[in-house]
Amino acid sequence: MSKKHFSWGKVYLALVFIILYAPIVYLVVFSFSAGKTMEKYHGFSFQHYADLFADSRMITIVINTMIVALLASLIATIVGTMGALLIKGSHRKWRNALLSLNNVLMVSPDVIIGASFLIFFTMLGVRLGFASVLLSHIAFCIPIVVLMVLPKLNELSPTLVDAAYDLGASRWQSLSRVVLPAIAPGIFAGYFMALTYSLDDFAVTFFVTGNGFSTLSVEIYSRARQGINLEINALSTLMFIVSLLLVIGYYFISKHAGRRNRIVTVKEGDAQ
Amino acid sequence: MEFHHVERRFGDNVVLKDIDFAIEAGKFYTLLGPSGSGKTTILRLIAGFNSPTSGEIDFDGKRINDVPANRRQVNTVFQDYALFPHMNVAENVAFGLQIKGVGKQETAKRVKEALHLVQLDGYGEREITEMSGGQRQRVAIARALVNRPKLLLLDEALSALDHKLRVEMQTELRQLQRQLGITFIFVTHDQEEALAMSDQIMIINDGTIQQSGTPVDIYDEPLNHFVADFIGESNIVPGIMKADYLVTIDGQDFECVDAGMRPNERVEVVIRPEDLDITTVEKGQLAVTVDTQLFRGVDYQITAHDQRNHEWKINSIHKTTVGATVGLAFDPEDIHVMRYNESEEDFDARLDSYEEDE
Repeated sequence: MSKKHFSWGKVYLALVFIILYAPIVYLVVFSFSAGKTMEKYHGFSFQHYADLFADSRMITIVINTMIVALLASLIATIVGTMGALLIKGSHRKWRNALLSLNNVLMVSPDVIIGASFLIFFTMLGVRLGFASVLLSHIAFCIPIVVLMVLPKLNELSPTLVDAAYDLGASRWQSLSRVVLPAIAPGIFAGYFMALTYSLDDFAVTFFVTGNGFSTLSVEIYSRARQGINLEINALSTLMFIVSLLLVIGYYFISKHAGRRNRIVTVKEGDAQ
Repeated sequence: MEFHHVERRFGDNVVLKDIDFAIEAGKFYTLLGPSGSGKTTILRLIAGFNSPTSGEIDFDGKRINDVPANRRQVNTVFQDYALFPHMNVAENVAFGLQIKGVGKQETAKRVKEALHLVQLDGYGEREITEMSGGQRQRVAIARALVNRPKLLLLDEALSALDHKLRVEMQTELRQLQRQLGITFIFVTHDQEEALAMSDQIMIINDGTIQQSGTPVDIYDEPLNHFVADFIGESNIVPGIMKADYLVTIDGQDFECVDAGMRPNERVEVVIRPEDLDITTVEKGQLAVTVDTQLFRGVDYQITAHDQRNHEWKINSIHKTTVGATVGLAFDPEDIHVMRYNESEEDFDARLDSYEEDE
């Protein structure tokens, strides 16, 4: 900060970011500590990373989490995009009602959603495990996708579809060749949002996961209860780096897309 | 293209009432009317985005009421251009051809031709966001023309451009239409635009066609108060038709060139502001006091009032003084008489009846 451009606004901003990132930095620093606890730094070591990669249970869980997140966000993106198209096409009377129902799912606490899924699955007799986790992740990701796609649809000039018809396109052609490509940035953003939501979900997964299946957040939680293990720090550091890469990747993709048509840049990616 | 007694309603709202017209191939038509008059609805009926509530729309002698937009030989240039944002210029123009399954080489050739037609040679690889408003307009026109439609619809196509560009595009559009021989139907609320470009103007208000004719006919012989007021500036004063070729305004008799009305019929008299000349009180037929004077570059726009407080608008190239009393001079040909509630057919018949005598 040069003296020429000194302002309290900048100090405030810097302070906010320091406070936000300090815990993460603290966590990352101790993941390289040779000691067993976070009370004192014992010198640099990759010990905890070695432990982590030797822990096959942890590696399995990481892979499980990835599979659930990728599948759930993919399916949620498809369903959510279709939903957004339907909401947009519905009569105005219904549109607000549908949108409100969608938003209720967004704002209602995860604990409630998780509990209700648990009751629902038990009632249906679904065995708790991969399937129940995947289904519930898809379910809570759909409203996010709808919320990301709908503004893009609203931005779209209604004459765009008319123009496609006018030039001889059928309904399907105007959807696949005009509408979908035009809202692609929204769909893309929705997918990324869904991915991060699914990756870091704890509350819902905690309810619907069964014996023998676990995701990262649930696993970290249960391990942390038994006392803090610096292996978790190592894992968190890796996850932080991955989400950082995701954000950077998304930034470059959206910048590239922005050259073709201005898109909403979603600054997001706290997959911690 | 013909409309027979077409009516269109949205719910209880009747947007078009009994629209009846025929369009000849190869001409430039303009649908002119204020916003909400129903002109865009007519365009959407022609394009096939809406279908009429009742009545018949024919194209080449065949009923097309239920033919959807994607199977009509009609293309539209939209008010907001509706260019596809995720495609570049050439892809936009090629869209219609690709949908129809035209071969790659043929498509490339026709896209090139179309871009040449609108003077955008070499712009094919540009993104839409890199194009200015006027250029986007041209892309939209090229995208429509590349399909070789029989009818090109333009919905307020120039209203988003600034004045200078608009005038330029008017000339170009007119030229393009002559060159291609395609029928253009242009929708606008801008009367200057309509007068400048069209072969035929249809004036729409309240969902009905008020008057149709050539720009000169409509300007010189407006049918009713609405048309006279909407097209150009005008002074409209009540009068009484004493006899053929003689009209009384405020008890003062004027010679005119209109006839065919009942003696002593109450009429409206239209005099265009540019037909009024300012002279001395003695030489003028009317004495007025000047209220305001605005300089507009080409002329002065003057408002004045006579002894009976009728307001007069005068466009004069000569300057006058505010507050002065001056004379207004005009010729019998400058007076146009309108009857109340006369239908277009009656109006045409009456005009024919006495114009033949001359």
